[in-house]
Amino acid sequence: MSESIYAFSHGILKRKQNTLFFESQDGSQRYLPVEGVRDIHFFGEVTLNKEVLEFLSQKSVLLHFYNHYGYYVGSFYPREHYNSGCLILRQAEHYLEPEKRLVLARQFVRGALQNIQAVLKYYHRRGFALASAIGQMESFLCGLEEQDTPDALMAVEGNAWDIYYQSFDVILNDQDFQMEKRTKRPPENQLNSLISFGNSLLYAAVLSEIYKTHLDPRIGFLHATNFRRFSLNLDVAEIFKPVIVSRVIFALVNKKAISSREFDERLGGLYLNERGRKVFVEKFEEKMKSTVNYKRIGRKVSYRRLIRLELYKIEKHLLGEEEYQPLLAEW
Amino acid sequence: MYVIMVYDVEEKRVNKVLKIGRKYLTWVQNSVLEGEITEARLERLKSELKRCISEEKDSVIFYIMRTTKYSERQILGVEKGGKGNFL
Repeated sequence: MSESIYAFSHGILKRKQNTLFFESQDGSQRYLPVEGVRDIHFFGEVTLNKEVLEFLSQKSVLLHFYNHYGYYVGSFYPREHYNSGCLILRQAEHYLEPEKRLVLARQFVRGALQNIQAVLKYYHRRGFALASAIGQMESFLCGLEEQDTPDALMAVEGNAWDIYYQSFDVILNDQDFQMEKRTKRPPENQLNSLISFGNSLLYAAVLSEIYKTHLDPRIGFLHATNFRRFSLNLDVAEIFKPVIVSRVIFALVNKKAISSREFDERLGGLYLNERGRKVFVEKFEEKMKSTVNYKRIGRKVSYRRLIRLELYKIEKHLLGEEEYQPLLAEW
Repeated sequence: MYVIMVYDVEEKRVNKVLKIGRKYLTWVQNSVLEGEITEARLERLKSELKRCISEEKDSVIFYIMRTTKYSERQILGVEKGGKGNFL
């Protein structure tokens, strides 16, 4: 029952009386019960010292930082507390051997496509004209076996995302929130900006879950491993983007919880302002905490837990115990 | 589960108890803390407290609720401690 903390105000994070203490610029002070904190997301400016980092490391709390525009900039990822040389070797093995890497990469794409299709079908049942998009997903899914490099898989996935994002216009049908086309760095319209922000939050959330397993976030399978960034969280996030991020966006836009007032134009792009980010994060957190019935273990689990379960399935695959099958959101 | 912890301890130990409580729960009023906690963490909290209080003189009470669904929180006057996961 750990919590994610989201800090929007500027302030100082301290270790005080053996727990965490946040003093914001406007003078308000809060103790955070360290035993119940999973991670802290900083959207505002924060000052912290090594003392607090040492303490967070000891308590296995992650910090995620976002810049002025809400882009993810990085994390404080404390020394691994679940160390398994064996699993790391297996993970590297599955990356280095092309056939093995392809199996996993294909499953991540399959997971993403299946869940995109599930979302489209959901709205199709409710009378939205999405039959052609669903059909296209089907043909992408059928063609997956033929793709024999991760790059080819990425290309298929890219096309699928394009079609999926196009269908946002059908589902949302809101003058203020038109998709037109997917733009990043900078997002050129409001819907693009929501997608980018939601994906950033999801990447960080998956990273926090990876920390609680033996997996190494630096070795991804669909996304190439490089010198710069974590990639396993990007792989796993693909599966959950349609399930979590898009649904949060649909809920916000359809219920008019977010409007053009929540966006600012900066650097040639449109970005959520502080109020908008708060609204988004609240809805996102609510979604992560909400539960669904999970057949595999026959009880209700939260979406956050679902991410962890997905990681355990990957661990099992790497150890050769059970072949990995991506989650299909059937609810 | 959700826990409300109230304590009445001798003055010299008030700070010690508060300090321990704050690691696990959120302070809401003098001598009152509350928050979501797991069973294991509650046991840890209790054992930490046991080491510090005098079992003859002090008392700490935990009100334990499996969920907060059937309870309601009403406040008169000011809300003293901050809650929620937004800063």
